[in-house]
Formats: sequence, structure tokens, C-alpha cells
Amino acid sequence: MDTGRSSKGNPVSTILDNPRFLHILRWIIAGIFLYAGIRKIQAPEAFADSIATFQLLPKELINLLALGLPPFEIIVAVLLLTDWKKREAAFSILVTCIIFTLALTQGLLRGLPIDCGCMGSGEPSTWHTGLSLTRDLLLLSTAWIVYRKS
Amino acid sequence: MISQSNSYAIIPGERFVAGEIFAMNEETGRGKISRDFLALSMLALTALCLGLLLNQMRNHPLPLVYQSKAEGLQRAVERISQNKAAPVSLAGKNLTLETFREIVEQRKALILDARPEIFHRLGHVPGAVSLSREDFENRYIKLRGILEKDKNQPLVVYCAGSDCEESELVQQALAKLNFTNVAVFRGGWAAWTQAGLPKETP
Repeated sequence: MDTGRSSKGNPVSTILDNPRFLHILRWIIAGIFLYAGIRKIQAPEAFADSIATFQLLPKELINLLALGLPPFEIIVAVLLLTDWKKREAAFSILVTCIIFTLALTQGLLRGLPIDCGCMGSGEPSTWHTGLSLTRDLLLLSTAWIVYRKS
Repeated sequence: MISQSNSYAIIPGERFVAGEIFAMNEETGRGKISRDFLALSMLALTALCLGLLLNQMRNHPLPLVYQSKAEGLQRAVERISQNKAAPVSLAGKNLTLETFREIVEQRKALILDARPEIFHRLGHVPGAVSLSREDFENRYIKLRGILEKDKNQPLVVYCAGSDCEESELVQQALAKLNFTNVAVFRGGWAAWTQAGLPKETP
């Protein structure tokens, strides 16, 4: 067996298994979620409005989500940076991204004017939604990597 | 003859141990995911409680049931209609900084800046309009619509500070024009900025 090469023996795995690389990824994800959470906490009504544009949840649940999601994002971001709970945090982020992907996709399929509301409200548009979906899939893949390698 | 056994089963006992470890890893794999889901639920619950708590600390807490934008606006309209404050009586008063600040923040009066317009442009009290002493006639004509629609409306005049007389001159001019409810803030721009209060620029 060769020493100095990862067991899978290809350069991508070498990068993916590099602890410093994972460290950086975790910081990036945590930064994004921290920023997003803080922006949302500052403007809860606007965030509730953007949740409403998805036309998925009944009005009883919309505000609860608007109030609960930003602290969730912040807590998860902080936990991701600890060694102690980073796997659980990565899992939570992964699940959040999956749910969000599904929500965005149903919105695109139904042709809804969705306002992502990810980092504060923007103007709803299909193009914007496509952009949000792309960003979200990137985040999802990153979260997947971090989760599997924790 | 020595038979070549599998790499992980050199001794029968060892194969058993290896199998056991393998089984444990599989279980831990599934167990891990359900534990992660549990952690997720706990996090979500904690976050919800935190969010609700934070909400109560707000000036205008979000109601528990969502209202569409139209409904939200309707409620704001109702609140405004109920909140008709009695107009402030200011006639001839000299205001303290505290009173002036309250008037500015709650928009209880129209604030008039008696300083030359250039100073007004560089920075003025939020919401103030320029009615400079030096260009009074022209400025008055521009503000005629707002001013003359109610000559009893509360007005406050200020200038640079306690040393300038422009605010009093403007107040007297307004009194001669039959404005009945004009006060002066003697502290002026100096007092406002010294207290670190926000400036506005056009």
C-alpha cells in the first residue's frame, strides 16, 4: 500500500479528506447561515411575506416558521464551528437545504412569483428563483460533503 | 498444507470479532441518522422557543397567525386612526432639548430651520424644512401651501444656537403673519449635534 496517498487514491478524494479544506467549507457555510439568520431576524415581517409567496404553508404556520428559522440558522451555524456538534449541525443544514430545494422546485413548477427571502427580501421573479435554486444546490452539496466527512 | 484464509479471518475467533465490529458499525450507521434527526428536532424546538421569546421583546411583535400584506396594512390604518393625538400648543414657548427631541421624533410639529440655506443643506434636524431668515420671502412662498393650510398648526423654529437671533426673528415674522402656535428651540443646531442626535441631509 502506498503511504501518503488516500485509500481511494484519486486527487479529488485527497482534497475532500483534507481537514483544512473541510474546515474552510464549514466556515463558509457557517458564515452564510449566520449572515442569513441575522438579516432575517432584523426583518421578520418581510421574511414572513416571502414565506407566504411559496404558497405552501397555511397562515397559522407561516409566522411560526418566520420566527423560528432565523434563530435555528444562527444556532446551527455556531454549532457547525464547534468540534463537538459539527456533525449534527451539518445534518441539520443538509436537511434544511433539501427542504428548501423541494420548496423552490415546487414554486418553479407552479410558476409562482417566489421571493426567496434568503438574505433579506428581494424582488420576486422566476430568474431570481432559478438563481436561488442554484445557490441552494451548491450549499446542499457542500453540506453533504461536510456531513459525510464529519 | 496451509490454507490461505481470508485476510480478516486468520483465526476463527478473530473473524467473529471482525464480523461483530462490522455489524456494530452498520447499526451505528443507522443509529447515527436517527440520532441526527433527534438532534435536528431538538434544535428546531429550541430555535422556535427562542424566536417566540425574541418576538415578545419587539416593539411590534409579529402576530402568531400570518396576515397578508393587505391585512397588515389595514391594521396599521386602524391603529393610526385611533392614535389621533391632540395638536400640541407651543405658542411663544422656549423649548428644552428633551421636549424638542420628542417633538421631532414623534413629528408633533413642523420644524423650521432659520439658518441660511447652505447650512440647512449641510445638515439639519430630521424632518426640518428651510425657512431661512435671510431669504424669508422666497422660502415662505415655496412653503406657502404647507404653512397656510393651517395657521394654528404647531411650528418650531431653530437656528445655529443660543447666540443667534434668527430663530426669534423668524418666529416674530410668523406671528405677524398670524401664525398662532410657533415656538423657538433656543439650543438650536449646536445643542442638537452636541447631544449626538441624528442629522438629515436633503
